[in-house]
Amino acid sequence: MNGRNPHPAAQPGEQQDGRVGRRSVLRGALAAGAVGAAAAASTGSAPAAADSTDAPATASGYPFEGIHQAGVLTPKQRSAAFVSFDVTAADRAGLSDLLRTLTERLRFLTAGGVPEPLGISAPPSDSGVLGPVVPADGLTATLAVGSSLFDERFGLAARKPLRLRPMTSFPDDDLDPAWCQGDLMLQLCADNQDTVAHALRDLAMHTRGAMQVRWRIDGFASPPRPTGTPRNLLGFRDGTANPDTGDARTMDQVVWVVPGLGEPAWAVDGSYLAVRVIRMLVEFWDRVSLNEQERMFGRQKASGAPLDGQSETDAPKYPADPTGDIIPLDSHMRLANPRTAGTDGLRMLRRGYNYDLGTDSNGNLDMGLVFCAFQQDLDRQFVAVQNRLAGEPLVDYISPYGGGYFFVLPGVRGPQDWLGSSLLA
Amino acid sequence: MWVLAGAAVAVAALGAGAVAWAQGTRPARAAAAPLDDYSGLPHTTVQISVGSCGSGWTSPHTGLQVFDLSGTGAVAADAYLETSAGAVVGEVEGLAPGTTRPIVVRLAAGSYDFQCLPQDDSAVKGPVVRVTGSGGGSPAVVPVTQQDLIPPTLLYQKWVAAQLPGLVRDTETVQAAVDRGDLAAARAAWLPAHLDYERLGAAYGTFGDLDDSINGTTKGLPGGLTDPGFTGFHRLEYGLWHGQSAAALAPVAARLSQDVRSLQTQWKTAQMDPLLLGLRAHEIVENTIQFELTGRTDYGSGSNLATARANLQGTAEALTLLHPLLASRMTTLPQINADMATAEAELTGLGDVPPASLSTTRREQLNADFGQLVDDLAPIAAVCDVRRTS
Repeated sequence: MNGRNPHPAAQPGEQQDGRVGRRSVLRGALAAGAVGAAAAASTGSAPAAADSTDAPATASGYPFEGIHQAGVLTPKQRSAAFVSFDVTAADRAGLSDLLRTLTERLRFLTAGGVPEPLGISAPPSDSGVLGPVVPADGLTATLAVGSSLFDERFGLAARKPLRLRPMTSFPDDDLDPAWCQGDLMLQLCADNQDTVAHALRDLAMHTRGAMQVRWRIDGFASPPRPTGTPRNLLGFRDGTANPDTGDARTMDQVVWVVPGLGEPAWAVDGSYLAVRVIRMLVEFWDRVSLNEQERMFGRQKASGAPLDGQSETDAPKYPADPTGDIIPLDSHMRLANPRTAGTDGLRMLRRGYNYDLGTDSNGNLDMGLVFCAFQQDLDRQFVAVQNRLAGEPLVDYISPYGGGYFFVLPGVRGPQDWLGSSLLA
Repeated sequence: MWVLAGAAVAVAALGAGAVAWAQGTRPARAAAAPLDDYSGLPHTTVQISVGSCGSGWTSPHTGLQVFDLSGTGAVAADAYLETSAGAVVGEVEGLAPGTTRPIVVRLAAGSYDFQCLPQDDSAVKGPVVRVTGSGGGSPAVVPVTQQDLIPPTLLYQKWVAAQLPGLVRDTETVQAAVDRGDLAAARAAWLPAHLDYERLGAAYGTFGDLDDSINGTTKGLPGGLTDPGFTGFHRLEYGLWHGQSAAALAPVAARLSQDVRSLQTQWKTAQMDPLLLGLRAHEIVENTIQFELTGRTDYGSGSNLATARANLQGTAEALTLLHPLLASRMTTLPQINADMATAEAELTGLGDVPPASLSTTRREQLNADFGQLVDDLAPIAAVCDVRRTS
């Protein structure tokens, strides 16, 4: 044990929050003598009123409870999985059971602890992939819902977030339906890939009949090379101009749904999530001159500085370059955010991950970006920016083929609360 | 001991095997508990031997805790932590002399004892320990013995024996159609015969080499579809649905008939291991998920979903026979019955179409139903593992 995380759930006799018989919530108590599901949460939980993203994290774990879900403002962990699920539960009660089960499992997985022993009554309750005591390892889970969840199956049509809809093709997209949409989107992030895989395996085991994976892509965040914002697989720093996640006021303008936006009341403290699986045609890209690459982004490849600046954090001086002689008018950076009056509202919180899926059938490298952006208003932010980018020179080198629009549920407020409680109330 | 004390971390990383090795020359000596990462839990070291079974449990308490079972006898032993009703809360199997292994349990208030079962020797019970406090406990299950499993195993053997004449008859019907050159009739007769076999749920080697011969695929065959080792129902299926001639298929059909007759003959003297019945309860459906719902075993007939239904029937038979043993040990039987009904209804609703033709939504539902079923079936094998009680 590294001493950074007290592993609260592993304290003697105090692991009640992790006490979940396999499938007990979905399917009733498991075996003779099984304790009832999930008593009170014990140690280690953030106060109900605290925001998981505001609360001080232990070095290896983030609080599960909070006004907002974790994994949005959380500093990007190294490993991630984006998993789209379709709900197979028969009805609204089944959906409610599913969300409660997910909540209960995530409460345990994000805190870590000793998996509940099941004796001779069943196979082990845990895969053991992370050893006998599950470490928190910086795990966060962010659960979002897709527009298809609001069809006739669960009686939720009237509660759909105002701007939630299926992701339709932009002019430069090449969408594959097998890689698009989903009733649920679960973003799992952790310090290590085995922790992400362990969490997904645990969640799938406990929800076998209630949801099925529709598509999934794993991502990794590169370390700073050599400093600054990590690079994407085109070699450029990605996420430089993100808004300050430490500024709560800005986050309430950029990321979180707040009252007064015309959204259903249950959706307050949620956020719109746009996921885009974007292949990068890296062989083609590597045959492009450095000047051309830099003019496409508007930044210097080595330093990340704007083409008119010295360091990554320098702001581009567009007014001094009205005709784009230095930073081309159609560069990615300038199109996405021209920094003119009124375009402040375009800003969103990007939290993408690189992906590497091996090779395609012709032996070309299949790698790219799982673009992931959180925002208050899908249309005002992601969609508007995407429309501004239509036809940019970069589109020849990338191919968006998957993803979807989702709505991040409000956070879990306390020991009795569960993900989606306000939606299903 | 100095190896453990001086380099505990390194040794612990190697696990119990390393501990056994380090202690090899002094087998009767208790080993220090290996580092097990349960450092946040209270530990109790308990001796497992004929002479001192259960000794060391001096400060009992409720809650999540670790017992470090230390093999202090001369031979390997199994050990149970059991309730006063004889229900097992935790076990260690084959604890080698001079080694220590942890079991994690959550104890509710009540009376418990350790039972030590040395190899080739009678079981010994340790002192009864009274645990006080609050909170729930780990599930406790009364062990299933070989004796318990013999009656249902015999009934299962009889059930299989009663199915075999139908299999032989239906297989001969296919053969006759091939022999007279009526391949349309052969295709029509192939499915009933194959389902007769699939209903037996011959998962994971119950019928040994004959299963490979009767129902094998091209798996592991260097020559693939043309490998001489590719025989049986799927070889015949491949030929019948890929335009092969009656003359080419006649020897295949003859061999299949012969193999199912051999099965019938051999089954009369076969003795099924009682351990298998509990395993069958979930392994048949594991097979269904791996080979049928994926379409892996489809060689042209597109009948995987019909096979899946036959597999469910085989599972139902195993469940029926095990019911007397499970009724008092598992509270989830109603759920399992509901899962079975759901899976069957889903198959009925889909009809006999190839899995690949299903929409994403239908396929997800089918996989969800079978996934839930097999997850709920899996504890049966754990409960029905053969255990000693004396």
